[in-house]
Amino acid sequence: MNIGLYIHIPFCQQKCLYCDFPSYANLDHLYQPYIAALCQEISGLGGVLSGNRIDTIFIGGGTPTLLSTAQLQQLLQQIQSSFIIDQDVEFSIEANPGTVDREKLLVLQAGGVNRISFGIQTFADSLLRSIGRIHSATQAIEAVTMAQQIGFGNINIDLMYGLPGQTTAQLRASILQAVKLNVTHVSAYGLKVEEGTPFAIMEQQGRLLLPEEEDDEAMYELTTKELPEAGFKRYEISNYGKAGYECRHNLKYWRYQPYMGLGAAAHSFWQGERLANTVDVPSYIQRIQSGQLPLESRERPERSIAMAEYVFLALRTVQGLLLQNFNQYFAVDFFQHYDDVVSSLVAKGLIVVTHEQIYLTEIGMKYGNIVFRAFLPD
Amino acid sequence: MKTSNIRNFSIIAHIDHGKSTLADRLIEYTGTLSSREMEAQVLDHMDLERERGITIKAQAVRLSYTAKDGETYMLNLIDTPGHVDFTYEVSRSLAACEGALLIVDAAQGIEAQTLANVYLALDNNLEIITVINKIDLPSADPQRVKQEVEDVIGLDTSDAVLTSAKTGIGIEEVLEAIVKKVPAPQGNEDEPLCALIFDSHFDAYKGVIAYIRVMNGKVKPGMKIKMMATNKVVEVTEVGVFKPNMINVDELGPGHVGFVSGSIKNVKDVRVGDTITDADHPVAQALSGYRKVTPMVYCGLYPVDNSEYDILRDALEKLKLNDASLVFEPETSIALGFGFRCGFLGLLHMEVVQERLEREYDLSLITTAPSVIYKVFKTDGEVFEIENPSKLPTPQEIEHIEEPYVKAMVIIPNDYVGVVMELSQEKRGEFKDMKYLDTTRVMITYHLPLSEIIYDYFDRLKSASRGYASLDYEMVGYRESQLVKLDILLNGEVVDALSIIVHREKAVYRGRLLVEKLKGIIPRQMFEIPIQAAIGNKIIARESVRAMRKDVLAKCYGGDISRKRKLLEKQKQGKKRMKQVGNVEVPQEAFMAILKID
Repeated sequence: MNIGLYIHIPFCQQKCLYCDFPSYANLDHLYQPYIAALCQEISGLGGVLSGNRIDTIFIGGGTPTLLSTAQLQQLLQQIQSSFIIDQDVEFSIEANPGTVDREKLLVLQAGGVNRISFGIQTFADSLLRSIGRIHSATQAIEAVTMAQQIGFGNINIDLMYGLPGQTTAQLRASILQAVKLNVTHVSAYGLKVEEGTPFAIMEQQGRLLLPEEEDDEAMYELTTKELPEAGFKRYEISNYGKAGYECRHNLKYWRYQPYMGLGAAAHSFWQGERLANTVDVPSYIQRIQSGQLPLESRERPERSIAMAEYVFLALRTVQGLLLQNFNQYFAVDFFQHYDDVVSSLVAKGLIVVTHEQIYLTEIGMKYGNIVFRAFLPD
Repeated sequence: MKTSNIRNFSIIAHIDHGKSTLADRLIEYTGTLSSREMEAQVLDHMDLERERGITIKAQAVRLSYTAKDGETYMLNLIDTPGHVDFTYEVSRSLAACEGALLIVDAAQGIEAQTLANVYLALDNNLEIITVINKIDLPSADPQRVKQEVEDVIGLDTSDAVLTSAKTGIGIEEVLEAIVKKVPAPQGNEDEPLCALIFDSHFDAYKGVIAYIRVMNGKVKPGMKIKMMATNKVVEVTEVGVFKPNMINVDELGPGHVGFVSGSIKNVKDVRVGDTITDADHPVAQALSGYRKVTPMVYCGLYPVDNSEYDILRDALEKLKLNDASLVFEPETSIALGFGFRCGFLGLLHMEVVQERLEREYDLSLITTAPSVIYKVFKTDGEVFEIENPSKLPTPQEIEHIEEPYVKAMVIIPNDYVGVVMELSQEKRGEFKDMKYLDTTRVMITYHLPLSEIIYDYFDRLKSASRGYASLDYEMVGYRESQLVKLDILLNGEVVDALSIIVHREKAVYRGRLLVEKLKGIIPRQMFEIPIQAAIGNKIIARESVRAMRKDVLAKCYGGDISRKRKLLEKQKQGKKRMKQVGNVEVPQEAFMAILKID
């Protein structure tokens, strides 16, 4: 079986003001012990997965490129030596433009990485500062160009819209810049103010000047229009790629395929079970060192929930849900099970049904949560 | 016990003037219940009654009291509902008595409701004992209140009893006054049975229990009795008295108050005000005063979830077992699906029924705005009544429409005369009379459309008078009015359940308020929703609800699906239950918005 690997690096130089991902600043002293623990976990998993082939790897964070060149090298070597890796593997790493140099990129390349995902968010310096990013627009452009020069042919740029103070013109300029850089993939996320983030506090205090609703909407429309026009096909709610450059690792999440997560806060989906490692970095290290599993939770969603997950994940993709796959996976007839839900969603113009698949309409993409909720059991 | 030692009385009081507390004290003082058995407001059985501090159903209790003259008396207290909705029930309870305690708050004085009930008691020739209660209050002014009772009602208050039911002052004096002043019942046990039904309730084991006052003759188990209005004949299985729990006795004779049961399945057969007689030796004539109770106010009741229709029907049927005045019949609304058009004695009755349905049967209901019964005279000569505004024919078919009017009596401090008159005028009232009760309090009488009363007259009256106003009303008949049907359109479609009938001159104003109100209630949806008010084809007001914001999870980070799923689940739970009306999802309260516009 082909399996995806996710490896989490929970460190950042500084937390962005909107971020609620499991990642921490000022843990420099834990980098080395963490890498050691992570390598130990990888090595252990290698044994478990022997006989399986790894065809996608994603090192995410946090900021993986915050690690030193040597640490990255250690990690990559451990990966290479622990698993049977498909020749055609998609091997991604997330990078912050403020934390890469030529040497580091070369080490990544030598270690097998063939796709870099740059968290850039916007090419407007004023916005970068106001959302707490550590790099400038120029640094971002230089980092992407450098990676391309070294030979990374598959590069993603993360962009955001709906940022405080952002204008439609600024967003258009950022999209044009990404297009001009000739990358292969763009992820475009709308800002959501998440609980517990500095932005949430600022919003509560009335200090977060988010764009007006109409402007936010216009930015969304702009994204869905301009990127495809520039040759980036929308293949998921927030993801756009040139032909053949869709992120295969992320597609595994949406297609209900197995993946193993390694490191603190990493998630796995394995044999119908969802597992999560502890988010607490010291305790992750300690548990690995003492030979324990670093698991924080594991659950096997009951059938009705598993089905709902399958559906709402698949519907995130433009291709939608392939009925045959669903019916085969759950040994059930999709329509028999979701008859009422489907007809009500079709009537509302949120989904389209064909013989082979169901997928979100344009309106459905915009109001995806309404569709997703509808499939959850009451 | 000798008939001469029986005293039957009821209590007349405005809400909060201390009726239930005084009743409790009487029960306690006579040792009818031990203090361990006492629960505050013993006679108000329903949770709702206790919570709202009102009496909805009549109750009775037999007290045994040994008076200062050494004789032991049987005192039957019949506790009556104190709300305008139940005026008929009150009149029947009073007809079962020879006397009444008029309780007046020593600080507040007479209120409209009290007055209405005192007149009912006087109509029934009851001996009235004035009780000035709450004399312990610092603001009590018994002298002034006594004077008010004399001036307004014309009762001699020289021997009024001063009490504080709360602290127990004057309880013995009240009992003595009952014994001395309330006449003993007349009646002959050798005559054929003649008994008045003043209430009933349904018992799951015994069937309908009729609450009766025997006028003549005797009733005992084994006897065949006949309900004279319904001609229903049953064999009596049990007779008994209330202490206040039901205790079986061998027989009930003249002057006695108690109950009879006899495997009567349907509460409709035991009508309040009807006469029970001996089926084999019937009396020639039933007691006077019986009338069939007809609903004054109607509304539609629909389950939010259509699948609960059967549960709603069963629940209504169960409530009807105990409440003959509740009427309902199936109704279909284009907007709401299957439900029931229900008739009530008044707004309080309506609210009580709704609340019981939701509470006791765990139903989630949509209630349409209450409506009165209109008489529609068609151009083709046909005349019919409608109790659902959506049933009004097109204007071309209507010759004219008549609506019910009531005589409304309002008692207020004189400072508020101006605002009350202004309000009543605005509500299409016709001034009838104004009279000073004392130097500071005034009673104003208006004729008003009932529809204005059930709309917001009382609420506005209360707020305009800072809560000082009290109101009572009675039907005076039908009158022609310039009425039109106001329709509400959501997304271009008329929502039948939102239609109301209003006076032509107020239609535009009401229409505007209503669409504004609905704009605030209807949540944003995937598309813009126009909300319009229309009379016929003419749009008179318009608002719109904007399309909702984008709503989609941006990413599923690092394969953490469970978290996203839990978020979706939480959102799903937080969703209010909505009624799908065409393409639009409408929350329950939208259908009541019509009532609470201001």
